[in-house]
This record gives sequence, C-alpha cells and structure tokens, in this order.
Amino acid sequence: MGRPAHPQAMAPSRPGSTRTAPPELPGQFPFAGRYRGYTLFAWTGVLYLLLGFLVLRVVWALGESPQAFDSVIASFRNPLYIVFHLLALVGVCFVAVRFFWLFPKAQPPRIGPAKPPPQPVILAMLYGLWIGVTLLLSAILAGVLF
Amino acid sequence: MSEQQKKTFVVTRFDPDVDEVPKTQSYKIPVEPDWKVLDALNFIKDNVDATLSHRWSCRMAVCGSCGMMVDGEPKLTCKDALSDYGDTVEIAPLANFPVIRDLVVELEGFMEKFQSVKPWVIRAKELAVEEGTTRQSPEELAEFKQFSMCINCMLCYSACPVVANEPHFLGPAAIALGHRYNLDSRDEGAEERNEVFRGEGTVFSCSFANECSEVCPKNVDPAAAVNQAKFNAVIDWAVGLVLPRGGK
Repeated sequence: MGRPAHPQAMAPSRPGSTRTAPPELPGQFPFAGRYRGYTLFAWTGVLYLLLGFLVLRVVWALGESPQAFDSVIASFRNPLYIVFHLLALVGVCFVAVRFFWLFPKAQPPRIGPAKPPPQPVILAMLYGLWIGVTLLLSAILAGVLF
Repeated sequence: MSEQQKKTFVVTRFDPDVDEVPKTQSYKIPVEPDWKVLDALNFIKDNVDATLSHRWSCRMAVCGSCGMMVDGEPKLTCKDALSDYGDTVEIAPLANFPVIRDLVVELEGFMEKFQSVKPWVIRAKELAVEEGTTRQSPEELAEFKQFSMCINCMLCYSACPVVANEPHFLGPAAIALGHRYNLDSRDEGAEERNEVFRGEGTVFSCSFANECSEVCPKNVDPAAAVNQAKFNAVIDWAVGLVLPRGGK
C-alpha cells in the first residue's frame, strides 16, 4: 500500500454514509518517474536560500570596511565555495530551462485585444534574452564593458 | 498452436464493512493481445471474482468513469493497452481520493469543487427568443475549445501533488473548466469566477508541476488553463485597482 495523502484530500464537505479508506499519494511521488524533476525543482529553493545568506554576508562586509569585503570575496576561492557556486549555477540553469518550457503555455489567448505571439516565438525570445543578459554580464565581469 | 499468454493482476481490495485498511489480491488470468486494462478487470469480474468493484461505462474514452492507478500511474483503463505492461500489473484506485470500495473512489468532493467555479454560461441579461442565438465565430471557439474536451476522469487530480497535500485546492479540472467559461465569448461571468480564483486554495496554490497535463488522456492541458487563469485573475485585480470604479 502507498503512503497516505492528506486525510481530507478530495473529501466531501459532509462525509457520506459509507466508511471510506483514506486517500493515498501517487505511488511515484516524490522521487520516481516525472515527479523526480518536479521535486528537484522544488529543492533548488534550498540553494537559493543559501545563496541569499551569502549575498547578505557580502553586503554586511561591504558595510563594515573595504578590507572585510575583500576578505569575504577572497574566501570564495575556497574549493567548497567553488563547488557550491557550480551547484547553484546548475540549479539556476535547470530552473530557467523548466520555466522556459512551461512559460509559453501559461500565456492567455488574449489580454484585452492583444494576442501573445506564437509559443515558439515566446520560447525564442526567452532564450534570446537569457543569452543576451549572460553575454552582457560576462562582458562587464571581464572588464570589456565599463 | 501457441499457448495463451497469462498475466498477474495485483488489485487493491477494500470492503468498508470488513477491512480496516485496503489490501491487495492477485489474479492470474489469460489475456488477449488486443485487450485494454479494463478488459482484464471485466474478465476478472465476470469469470474469477464477482465481488470485485470497479467503475466503467462507455469503453471508448468518453465517459471518464474508468480512471485508475495502473502500475502507479493514473490511467484511463479503457484506453490503456495491456500490451504496454509486463507480466504483473498493479491496479489501484485513483490516488488522492478516499476509497469507497475496491477500485471505486468517492466523487462527492470533486463535484463540490466543480460546482464552485460556476461551470455554466453566465449572462448579465438573457437574450429574448426573438433576438435569436448568441453567435460565436470559429476563432472565438478556438480560444477555449481545448479546455472543453475534459471528460471529468479525474486523472489530473490523482497526479497532482498539490491536491495530495492541500484539501482546499480546487484542482486542475475544475479550474480548467472555470477558465474555459471565462474564455467563452458568450459568457459574462469572468468577474465572478476570478473572484473565486483569487480565493484561498485556488489558482495560486498550483505549483506548476504539470503532472495534470502529462496524464490527461484527452490532451486538455489543465496546467495551461490553471496558469492562464492565474494571469487573468491578476490582470483583472490590477485593472480593478488602477481604473476608477474597478474599470467597469
């Protein structure tokens, strides 16, 4: 038998005259079949939480002194930080690709008189924007721009 | 002549008068190459164990009665070829639903959710008979036709992780149906339904797992409907906030 779902899942507001067996979760949830991707997607939230703490640490050091800021930035050369940032990059790419896959069909057929462009065009726009912003940021970080 | 193939069916059984919790029972039966999963269940019911309870009706993927979990996935058993499965097939009632008996689930909760989205054409003023019918162009029909193909088989509810954990969630089929009427050019009730959609446990509870669309046997794509409904509910709210008299 499977694991239990919420005991009130899909239950009527007033119980019927027959005793029922409690609802069960889908057998593949959360780590098998297609649920694996969804669960991984949800778990990337932990990466973002940790990244958020890192950003707070950098901002805090920035407010303390230039030396404290340099020290925090220098600490990111630690292999553990490098592994963490690579993991975060993979997580961000995974979420972006999943978002781009689902976003086009979430567009309503029209907003007032305006109709959204066809789904492949929306998809191309999203990927184009992603590549453009990545190139722009890379150029800034490499000192080519500004 | 080759020997007829046999398959073992591990079927969930539950008798509310006797069983504390559901159990499983195995049946090894001869099967035909062209059978659907439902054919095997009907064979068991007719020839092996008449006490087995399951719902079915049309046998052509129209009535939506025969949804069950087959090897852990929600399937319409009259549409699902038995040849796609191995020698042992597990059949259970739809996940996320209370079970009345064997493979039969409680539908009342689903019907309540369905009604709450007002799934009918709402008109501010009905046309008089002499005024004729409300016309609709093929382009206007195309905007919602996909969402009107739902057969209420409830596979989407069975696959949805939010339904499993949030009892108040209206769920994919009900929201898709409400959205279908919101998109209907003859309807004037979008404001009422968007009010429902902005409430607790509605469109914004959906985490876009997309499982409802993956399992839908009629390609309705309820995940698209739910997320389009989110968009429209926000637009509707924002317009009401910005424009005088709520943009009316």
